[in-house]
Amino acid sequence: MDLRSLDSSQLDAMREIANIGAGHAATALSQMTDRVIMIDVPEVSIIRIEDVGTITGEPDDAVAAVMMKVLGDVTGRTVQIFPGASAVKLVSMVSGGVEPEFPDGFTSEHQSTLKEIGNIIVGAYLNALSDFMGLLLIMSVPAIAIDMAGAVMTTSYLNFGEEQDHVLCVNTGMIIGEERIRGHFLLIPDATSLQVMLREMKLV
Amino acid sequence: MTDDRKRSRRSVVEFRAEAVDHVPVHIGDVKVADGSSLLYTVGLGSCVAIALYDPYERIGGLAHAMLPHPNMGRRDAPPGRFATTAVASLIELMEARGASRRRLQARLAGGASMFRDLLDREGLKLGRRNVDAARDALTSAGIEVQAEDVLGTYGRSVFLRTTDGQLLVTSVSHDDVLL
Repeated sequence: MDLRSLDSSQLDAMREIANIGAGHAATALSQMTDRVIMIDVPEVSIIRIEDVGTITGEPDDAVAAVMMKVLGDVTGRTVQIFPGASAVKLVSMVSGGVEPEFPDGFTSEHQSTLKEIGNIIVGAYLNALSDFMGLLLIMSVPAIAIDMAGAVMTTSYLNFGEEQDHVLCVNTGMIIGEERIRGHFLLIPDATSLQVMLREMKLV
Repeated sequence: MTDDRKRSRRSVVEFRAEAVDHVPVHIGDVKVADGSSLLYTVGLGSCVAIALYDPYERIGGLAHAMLPHPNMGRRDAPPGRFATTAVASLIELMEARGASRRRLQARLAGGASMFRDLLDREGLKLGRRNVDAARDALTSAGIEVQAEDVLGTYGRSVFLRTTDGQLLVTSVSHDDVLL
């Protein structure tokens, strides 16, 4: 399907899905960190594949990115992006200890901690979606990359085997605590799963 | 930060400082420059950067392609999106600027396999296919690939200096490479 043919009610439904998922993720994250979490209104847009590198900011920003595959009735990926300064604050907030230097001092131990945090966020997000849509959504083990945002984003939105001119961007920004730790949560359903989700919400 | 890393960062600063014109090449772009220019593109993951250089005329060209080649029957997609059509487009633009095809040297960077543990099981290996498509298109055009820094599991940025055709490849956690 041509994503540009999605109408505003369908895009609104995706925004609502992201809002529900992020709301639950924020609750889980708030309990884990004992901080107030603020979530932005999810940004849902159809963009050219050439533009995915700048979804979260400058393409050469060094970020920590946690990716998981989504399996079950809906298949695709979730990607969480933390700017370097936010990743180190989040990790030291959860596990204690001094903030490491990013990226050189961000050891495999720090990376494991961030993957665990990612697990909890994605678990809560997908559970909420499962309940809302009555579909089974399971997550894979996490993978992490400490790399440039552009490289992470193009890799996340490509590699589906069947590439199109446009992609659906479902991006929810979060701010954690007074430390103002920033993160992005991206839901990337594959083309078939987008149809499945819309059908479940009676929008196709 | 280690001494090596500090040195790494310095070479980018030097490359930037030396050049009069800085020419960004965004994803899907194909651009050509001469004089004292720095053509650069950042955040290559599985994408491939194709750099061409005519050492006699001192003309450089750079493309940032996302996919190997256009699907059958698709003719409306922008040429810079695909490695094969980006090579053709680069050659055309460089010849129009006065470069000679038989003098062109090619350098490649990118084509990584990030999140390999998750994504490579799908067997798509997009990074490798991008590099292979670029190499094949260059070989067919009779252009030699002089040097490359490709594959692996990490992202790269590249900076092409048009005064001597040198290509600086940088990354977040690996040493710089000069091609």
